[in-house]
Amino acid sequence: MVGVLSRTTGVLGAAALLGTGLAVALPAVTASAEETLLVAATAVPEGFDGDALRPGTQNVVPQVYENLVRYGRIEGEDGRTYLDPSAIEGHLAESWEVSEDGTRWVFTLREGILSPYGNELTADDVEWSWNKSFDQQRTGNFIARVSNVESVEALSDYEVAFNLSAPSSIFLPALTLYVPGIYDSTEVRSHATDEDPWALEWLETNTAGFGAYHLDTLRPDEMAVFVANPNYFRDQPFFDRIVYREVPSAASRATLLLTGDVDWIDRPAVQQVVEFQGDDRVKIEDSPGRAMVAAWMNPNFEPFGDVRVRQALNYAIDREEIIDSVTRGTGDVAMSVVPPIVDGYDPSFFAYDYDPDRARELLTEAGYPDGFETELLYSDLWWWLEPFTIQVSSQLSEVGVTATPTRITGSDMRSRSAPAVRDMPFFVFESGPIILDPVYTLYLLAHSEGVSNRSDYSNPDFDALIDEARETLDRDARLALTTDAQRIWMEDAPWLVAAYPRTFEAMAPDIVGWVPYPDVHERWYDLRRVED
Amino acid sequence: MKVRRFLLRRLIFIVPLLLGIVFFTFMLVRIGGQDPVEMLAGPTATQAHIDLIERELGLDQPLLSQFLIYIGNVFTGNLGDSWISSQPVLDDILRRAPITLELLFWGVGLGALIGIPVGLRVAGRPDSWFDQCARVVSLFGFSIPTYWLGLVMLFVFFYLLGWAPPGIGRIGLVVIPPETITGSYLIDSLLTGDWEAAHSAFSHLVLPVTCIAIISAAPIIKHTRAIALEVYRGDAVRFARASGLPRRIVRRIVMRNSTVPVMTFVGTEITGLVGTTSLIEFVFAWGGLGQYGLNAIISGDFAAVQGYVLFLALFSVIVFLIIDLTVVIIEPRSSEAT
Repeated sequence: MVGVLSRTTGVLGAAALLGTGLAVALPAVTASAEETLLVAATAVPEGFDGDALRPGTQNVVPQVYENLVRYGRIEGEDGRTYLDPSAIEGHLAESWEVSEDGTRWVFTLREGILSPYGNELTADDVEWSWNKSFDQQRTGNFIARVSNVESVEALSDYEVAFNLSAPSSIFLPALTLYVPGIYDSTEVRSHATDEDPWALEWLETNTAGFGAYHLDTLRPDEMAVFVANPNYFRDQPFFDRIVYREVPSAASRATLLLTGDVDWIDRPAVQQVVEFQGDDRVKIEDSPGRAMVAAWMNPNFEPFGDVRVRQALNYAIDREEIIDSVTRGTGDVAMSVVPPIVDGYDPSFFAYDYDPDRARELLTEAGYPDGFETELLYSDLWWWLEPFTIQVSSQLSEVGVTATPTRITGSDMRSRSAPAVRDMPFFVFESGPIILDPVYTLYLLAHSEGVSNRSDYSNPDFDALIDEARETLDRDARLALTTDAQRIWMEDAPWLVAAYPRTFEAMAPDIVGWVPYPDVHERWYDLRRVED
Repeated sequence: MKVRRFLLRRLIFIVPLLLGIVFFTFMLVRIGGQDPVEMLAGPTATQAHIDLIERELGLDQPLLSQFLIYIGNVFTGNLGDSWISSQPVLDDILRRAPITLELLFWGVGLGALIGIPVGLRVAGRPDSWFDQCARVVSLFGFSIPTYWLGLVMLFVFFYLLGWAPPGIGRIGLVVIPPETITGSYLIDSLLTGDWEAAHSAFSHLVLPVTCIAIISAAPIIKHTRAIALEVYRGDAVRFARASGLPRRIVRRIVMRNSTVPVMTFVGTEITGLVGTTSLIEFVFAWGGLGQYGLNAIISGDFAAVQGYVLFLALFSVIVFLIIDLTVVIIEPRSSEAT
């Protein structure tokens, strides 16, 4: 840094450095004999145990841990493959029997199913895995309780029994869930210690399942690499390797997809999806959603205790307008609390077409001829909450109801909707079932004991139907009950129902085979790349 | 002796300062921030489940006891465990710190390499066309939002021109990183003679470093100019000119007299740019401490946020200390640095 030399060459030198750097920067693309799927996601998962959820865990656990049973497949009208919610077939299990009184299910496992470590799936693995979930007292335990499972016991090498406290129609569909996962307990146990009997620490950075994929390398904050399980019991997947790359910026992810540097991006936002439409560098696949855009009304708070008021508000909403403005035209009108993709979905009880006159009539009948004032609470938990709140508020004002949008924090909203609290009269929230089962859905969202029944809706007739349905194993009988329940629910109108936004996946145009799953995570096993 | 006394006086203040920062952060995340319990509990959580998690995380204790426990741990080098990664926060931070420091170092280094000579030169010719240009460019650098700059650079140089690699981290996806010596992919691969990795690391560094350089150059130009101008107007220069010394000598005098304040300023810049670097890391998926800190804040990972802030505070303190110490050593006149 001396004299004339420094000043000008300082600037020039830096420019030259930059120029050279850019000029020689080659994209690192090398052909590889194996097929690799490059996924750009918000974050690398920080744990691989379905019972110890961390951000990102749910995306990868279903790829590694597969279940005793799975949903069948059907071809939709659009030629695409969908899951068939009415058909459950064996997967890790070959067959099963249920006792007369419905409280004991015995599964016979397929023989010769090996994990990447070379250990065979036995009934011991199933028993161990469920005991782990029971012990952890988390999501797996919750699923077990909801399905009435009390204990799991290995009867022989390949036979395992589930003992239920009462018959449960939810049990079999619940087995398709990612949790409780089925672990290669031989391998996992080898990493257990006295303080850590379930090897939970090892499971944070390793996987040991019987599924199609297996965690190969993990570099926190950078990437996780999964490889196909060489011992997988079905055909080998197309993709030998999945590179799950952390790219925190949504804009960066979108750019990478457009340039073809990644094959798949995680959860594109609606705006990005709308922009991608018509761009042939990106393929957008969509499926009906399972989470409803709705405003919940708590009947314990006036004026929402009056069913006429609740119905009136439902008449006051222009759903097409909401779908256009909030979900950019990508939603379907919500006509039942049970989403369209779930078995037993019945839209026939929906009666609330946009009819502000009828709304005013009902309000007058209920004693509010000039409407009323209230607050509409929302948070930042999901992207659509704010625009939806604003739309609803504006539409309701036209029938004299002043619903002031009031924002609270996400954690406030969650804590206030906890079973012991539930003190929000009118609020917007998202909830949708991860099991494609109407009984599960109705129980969770609307039974007086349902964990997700955040607006404290309570109708003894409804409860009775669901209680009976939970124990009715015959599908026709069960669906008759759930249909009736949907009727009651829609008449009671505990929610201001609006729409089911479609869910989207964005991928490279040469990726095919995607099948929508209720947990909104793709299965890498399904995917293939086609040559043009 | 002067140095020792200086150090002692400084060190006495550091501990209460850091304590205060940690206390403030601690309370802030717990009172105002995200609630991690719901997130960790998952969508099907019952109240019992939520209580269990709260107990596990120690959140059911009164705030003050939580703080005292935490401080006690900090003094033994235990910064707690991240609730997201389950790893000790200290390990998480130490692993990622060199990654961010590398970016910061190259970025501010480049910015200073450009900014200081430019600043000195325009101070010598104030209001020339070069000065006007430099001022406009500097204004531009001041006003640009970091996130936007990063995305635009990616857009132009990667997406449109294809010159730069995708903003997908520190090294190409199919390149095997070098073994860890310093934590910097570039330096480590050069040290181990891995030319492919070195090349990949370098090409991935170019864009993010340039962004930081642009952002840091602007204030450096401005302040160097102001500082140098002061010196130009000062007695030393007037005396030199009056004595008929050539311009070259005058410039040298200016440079030597500007060194201390400019160095102090660059030190301030380094500490001030940590936030900017976090955003750049975010855009370029860099995987460093900044990204870690941002994630921790968003997810309500209290221990990680506290550890991150503590580390940043410590870093700032050390940088200032080094600079002031250097000033005390090299500056023959002052008995106390500014």
